[in-house]
Amino acid sequence: MARLVLLVWSLGPMLWQLYTSFRPTAALTGAGGGGWTLAHYQQLLNGNPPFLTYLLNSAIVGFSSTLLTLLLAIPCAYALSRMQAHRARNISVLVAAAAAFPAVLLFLALLQVARDFHLANNLLALSLPYAGLCLPLAILLLQAAFRDIPVELEEAALMEGMNLWQRLRWVLLPLMAPAISSAALLIFIFCWNEYPIALTWLSQSDLLTLAPAIARIAGSSIFTVPYGAFAAATVLGSAPLLLIMLLFQRQIISGLTQGAIKG
Amino acid sequence: MTASSSARTGLVLNQLSRRVGQQTLLQNLNLEVAPGEILALLGPSGCGKSTTLRCIAGLDQVSSGRIELAGETITALPPAQRNVAMVFQSYALYPHLSVAKNLSLGLELRRVPRAEIDGEVQRVLALLQLDGCRDRKPAELSGGQRQRVALARALLRKPALFLLDEPMSNLDAQLREELRGELRGILHSTGAPVVYVTHDQHEAMGLADRIAVLKAGDLQQVGSATELYQDPENQFVASFLGSPSINLLPLHPGELVGLRPEHLAVAEAGAPQDEQEVAVEAQRQHLEWLGDRVISHWRVRDTSVKVLSDAQSVSAKLAQANDRPLQLRWRREHELHFEQATGRRIR
Repeated sequence: MARLVLLVWSLGPMLWQLYTSFRPTAALTGAGGGGWTLAHYQQLLNGNPPFLTYLLNSAIVGFSSTLLTLLLAIPCAYALSRMQAHRARNISVLVAAAAAFPAVLLFLALLQVARDFHLANNLLALSLPYAGLCLPLAILLLQAAFRDIPVELEEAALMEGMNLWQRLRWVLLPLMAPAISSAALLIFIFCWNEYPIALTWLSQSDLLTLAPAIARIAGSSIFTVPYGAFAAATVLGSAPLLLIMLLFQRQIISGLTQGAIKG
Repeated sequence: MTASSSARTGLVLNQLSRRVGQQTLLQNLNLEVAPGEILALLGPSGCGKSTTLRCIAGLDQVSSGRIELAGETITALPPAQRNVAMVFQSYALYPHLSVAKNLSLGLELRRVPRAEIDGEVQRVLALLQLDGCRDRKPAELSGGQRQRVALARALLRKPALFLLDEPMSNLDAQLREELRGELRGILHSTGAPVVYVTHDQHEAMGLADRIAVLKAGDLQQVGSATELYQDPENQFVASFLGSPSINLLPLHPGELVGLRPEHLAVAEAGAPQDEQEVAVEAQRQHLEWLGDRVISHWRVRDTSVKVLSDAQSVSAKLAQANDRPLQLRWRREHELHFEQATGRRIR
């Protein structure tokens, strides 16, 4: 019974949006009419630019940010996990402080940076602030996972003659795969949903990511609120994330519970 | 084999020291291990035996001294280049790889031809009776099987030196005894020097050709089990080897007389004794009957004394007698004298 309530509570909003997206505007605003319609989806997919562009943009930003963050976080987390405990702790405190920092305070400064370095309207450039915001959490998560790998395992690999690259490739990274998957997913979701920075850095309509794009749909008319289009956009925007979750659910669960590494 | 020829092909530790901060973990250690010889590093926790092993492996930094292997000085070399194979206490098997892959990975990375790898892996699996396990992951193996895989991995490397860090300490006592002989045979057949760390004296005595006893970073004595047992250099070595441990009696001022429990006999007070025997009055405390032998506990002038007697012997029968005054006797030649202040043996 409790599980049913939890299920309804969690899935409720999504199912509501799904329902809303198939209903004609007239039915949603109470002006009468009924039945089902694909008009909202057609409006989005045939729009200028088509909705799929936004999905693609978000994907580009998501992947590049995830890659950049992981490239920086993995070596950092490895170093921290193998360092002397007291020095590592000091650095971890700084990283945690950065994680707790209210990002909203950075927007004006980030806008200035975008202007000065001509980073506006550039999808790949967005990965810079995103990586900066996601690094602290990624480092902390990966550091804990690295620490779970016994040092003796690396020493055994060392005694077998493996250099650093071989140790990473054959021993460390395979064992870290669940944790890296979890971190990657968290970063991707963050970038997918991020609004303020994308809003300020992207103005060209065919470069928009999902969040500012959906916001534009919402504010497009001063007379009506396009509930239907809005809902359709939400459903289309969430679908890729749901797909990723379903595909990688095993890695995510084990990465988050971290019980998998025992030799 | 002369000392110089063994130095050319075996392991030599020369004045090895390791200090961390204020602590001295190893103090001027000098040891030699000849090819085909098994040397056990024996001692209580914290005595420096694992530190020594890790220094030889290159996993820990040496503060001063020299390590030579097969004539080459390896002190400054990184672990990967020392041609040394190590078996860890926790086995350190790669948990995400099958047994076969655990064994072949090192060879693959060294670009050994595939056919040769497969042949070698098969040979070593058969040698250690692991044929059925080749596709299993470490988590699916028993403790004894994991230990053998770890050993197999080391054997495959055909190194110039084997290092084993308490490899049997995670196994139950019976399995340990069973594997001891097998392990000794396999290690001897490689022809390479072996350094074996253990805190278990029985394991050391049963497996090693020579034993080096360490205490707080200092080498106490090195020699065969017989030498250490019968001719200990100091009180520590005498007490560490032997079970039940040696009795130390303050019979004379300034010194302790050491007597092994098996060299003491129970006799009737007043029974005839020859001139090589010494007798003391003793009060019996209690008995441990162990099937084939009896350990009796006595009190001799405020000191506890243990006597080990064969269950069928007169000694054992007298130890259980309640109706007459009893003595403990021993032969003078079995006495080991130690300076009370320093623990050093007085010969």
